[in-house]
Amino acid sequence: MAKVKVKYFGRLRELLGIKEEDYYVDGATLADLLLKHIPERHGDKSKEWKETVFVTVRGEVAINAAGTPMLKNHFILVKGRTPELTYRLEDGDEVAILPPVGGGNYEG
Amino acid sequence: MKVRISENLSSLNSLINEVKGSSDEVGAIIIFIGVVRGRNAGGEKVLRLEYEAYEEAAVKTLENIISDIKDKYGILDAIVEHKIGSAEAGEDTMYAVVASKHRDEGFKSLIELIERLKHEVPIWKKEITEKGSRWIENV
Repeated sequence: MAKVKVKYFGRLRELLGIKEEDYYVDGATLADLLLKHIPERHGDKSKEWKETVFVTVRGEVAINAAGTPMLKNHFILVKGRTPELTYRLEDGDEVAILPPVGGGNYEG
Repeated sequence: MKVRISENLSSLNSLINEVKGSSDEVGAIIIFIGVVRGRNAGGEKVLRLEYEAYEEAAVKTLENIISDIKDKYGILDAIVEHKIGSAEAGEDTMYAVVASKHRDEGFKSLIELIERLKHEVPIWKKEITEKGSRWIENV
């Protein structure tokens, strides 16, 4: 059983009302964590979670030609890298889910 | 080189003195100060911005950016400090200070540093106006 720490920032931290939390997953991929484990734990926020993090079409998460769910402008960092959503989580992984940063409308 | 993300910025003078002392070849110091605008693009009065960062990643990314511009432009030193937490309209939110031999590479490197910071560094801000609040995101 792999224990992974998930960190949320910005609107995601606000949506879930938590900065970080642990998940115990077994053989799960990053996509499993984002589309199954997290929405299950935050059931009342699961619809908004999916629509914020993923591209959705009529409420369903869009899948690209390679069969992978499509992220919506979000970056996922695991151990400082941005793996594919097919990445299989390992014990001790820290998963940071990053909304898009401020960009052009910066002060100054 | 120094990167710092904190609820309180250092005094600008201390940062200037620090880069000035980095080399006896310093001939120019270029400074960028980020300030919370009192009005947003829609004309609403801004009360404050609230910043949060993925600190470990933000520091590492900024260090990489500074390292890149040092290699590209040959600047002598650079310091970036960015505020997190709440900042009221008119308050300073960021200092970026670049020391170089000549002004030309100093100006160019500082522009590149700020542009990259905006798009690459995991720092988020929420704008609170008289009418409500919203996360500022580059989508």
